[in-house]
Amino acid sequence: MKTFLHNLIGATAGVLLAVTATGVYAESKGKVFYMVPTLLDEFQTESVKAIEKFMGDVGYEVTSLNADNKADVQQSQMNDAIVQKPAAIILAAVDFEALKTSIEKARAAGIPVMIFDRQIKSTPSDFTSVAGTVEIGYVAAAEIERLLKEKNGEVKGTVLQVLGDPADPYSLDIQAGFEEKMKAFPGVTIISKPAMQWEASNAGTIVSDQLVANPNIDLIFVHAAHLAVAAVASLEAKGKKPGEVMLVSSNGAPVGLDLIRKGWENVEVEQPTYAQAAALAMFADKVINKQEIKAGTYNVLGLESVVSIEAWGPNIKIPGAAITKDNVDESRFWGNMKAPSEPIKPVE
Amino acid sequence: MTSLAADQPTQLSPRNRAAVELVLDNLVWLILAVVLIVFSATIPHYFQLGIFANIVEQSTFVGTLAIGLALVIIAGHLDLSVESTLGLAAMVPAMLFAESGLGYGITLTPGWLVIPASLLVSLAIGALIGASNALLVVKLQLNAFIVTLASFIWVRGLVTAISGGRSAQGLPGELRVIATTSIFQVPLYAWMSIICFLVFAFILRRTRYGRHITMIGGNPVAPYRAGIPVDRLLAITFILTGAIAGLAGWFLALRTSGASANLGTGMLFQAFAAVVIGGVSLKGGTGKLSGVYAGVLLLSSINTAINLMSMPAHYTTIIHGALVLAAVLLDSLKSIIRARYT
Repeated sequence: MKTFLHNLIGATAGVLLAVTATGVYAESKGKVFYMVPTLLDEFQTESVKAIEKFMGDVGYEVTSLNADNKADVQQSQMNDAIVQKPAAIILAAVDFEALKTSIEKARAAGIPVMIFDRQIKSTPSDFTSVAGTVEIGYVAAAEIERLLKEKNGEVKGTVLQVLGDPADPYSLDIQAGFEEKMKAFPGVTIISKPAMQWEASNAGTIVSDQLVANPNIDLIFVHAAHLAVAAVASLEAKGKKPGEVMLVSSNGAPVGLDLIRKGWENVEVEQPTYAQAAALAMFADKVINKQEIKAGTYNVLGLESVVSIEAWGPNIKIPGAAITKDNVDESRFWGNMKAPSEPIKPVE
Repeated sequence: MTSLAADQPTQLSPRNRAAVELVLDNLVWLILAVVLIVFSATIPHYFQLGIFANIVEQSTFVGTLAIGLALVIIAGHLDLSVESTLGLAAMVPAMLFAESGLGYGITLTPGWLVIPASLLVSLAIGALIGASNALLVVKLQLNAFIVTLASFIWVRGLVTAISGGRSAQGLPGELRVIATTSIFQVPLYAWMSIICFLVFAFILRRTRYGRHITMIGGNPVAPYRAGIPVDRLLAITFILTGAIAGLAGWFLALRTSGASANLGTGMLFQAFAAVVIGGVSLKGGTGKLSGVYAGVLLLSSINTAINLMSMPAHYTTIIHGALVLAAVLLDSLKSIIRARYT
């Protein structure tokens, strides 16, 4: 009993110390809210870890709030955050338009807003760190162009595009970028179907139905790696072998990289989560202290990234990468879950 | 005098009355047949064995979920937790046995043991959640809607918490064989779901348990006075509903070769729609599982049609909503016809 009491007192003291230390730490530079759109997606959960770690490296305490993919919930979270007067808010918007007024409200209250991953052009913000969702569509289009040419001798064939939820602008942007580039190839037929609520079995159902209705499908392009897993399960159930129907996915999640290793997937278009998060930390001091951010090229975790001053504010664009079986094991890809251990240094 | 005569039931011969009853009892199957004929005639690529096999396969998950839901509704209650139960029952075995992502990749010797082991895990999870619902609803007399709504929320939260939003993928081949082996182009798990329907349809119609829960759903006081153990039967029904949702989760994990944190979202309302379309009264005490299966097939047929047409997927949910309303109207119409002709 005595030992238990000692342990209890010790643990309580430890917790108190930790809380006090956190408080002191937070006072040194301040608290930052990270508004994450959902936690039902590996990219987002990894982004929480990366942002909390990197912003911690440069002296900020991060509180992450999950909106469960609901724009109204995120608006309420923004309101709650504004009342607490944090040093800054990092926003990965559920809905680009719906959050516009919340951004304006925060900035009017003197709170800088940094946009993460999901670019918002319709209203000014203080800093934007993106790979570019439309650009992910471009990268996917270039890879699909190459794969179709390798298979059919020219860029022609049938592509089944499985989107995410049709209400999610993230997926619609990828679709826009992809289809814009593919317009140059009239020999390519694109069948586009959304997987409602980004739910994997919905993607599996689409693939099953389309394989029966259009047995000549050359390639399947899914907008997230967890949908690729369901697509592969449906291919397998239809008796297909790895590589028989080509597969391209986006976001670079671990399961996508595993599918490349197993030969089911040809290309995973990566969103560089770690670099996108690191860029926020590198520029955080400048944003929060309202210092000028200069346009130019910056090295973010080894990636040459370009800062431009746009109508909506300073914008850093970090190149997405095409992951294939040749480079799948490189540690720079977040899907390999090896977050950089070196502390991030603020831009001078 | 005229109006009085119009209100009188029309006298039909026993043979005609039986025919009317047969049509009314199987109206959903008739609607399904009409829908399939129309789609086959108008939608390119629809009329082929592969598509019909897909419809049966895709009915597996919502269909299995709807079996349990129908049982609890026939018994006069509700269970909103089935969708989240399905999610947890898919996630836990996926985490234990999958090779990639969150999976621990546990292997058993001989390899086929993974089938009963993972199935038991899923069923046990479902039964446990069902038991917790039963405890709160039956023992503590709390409102089933609120209790199971709470379970719907906390169980999905638990899925997210244990997975951290990540997924477990790559179930072993010994387990995936149930998803990749087909008989008449329909995977084994879909056959298992059909067998489930047949077994529970038999239980509901031909066993004392089935007859008693139907009586309890119609009026719980009378069976209680007749000495039927109402509380025990209700508790069993909640546990069965949970276990069946667990089975649906197991099927879904096999189909997707693992689980992600949002697996199965949206299936609760589809299962409800199937149950209502299938003629189960939300007031309890009425309904047959054959109608529910027809309802599930009807929903799947429409989903497949939308997949094959160039219609935006948003319309799926609009059509589902319209179908549920139509089913309720049809139910009223059936009551009127029954009152008039039988």
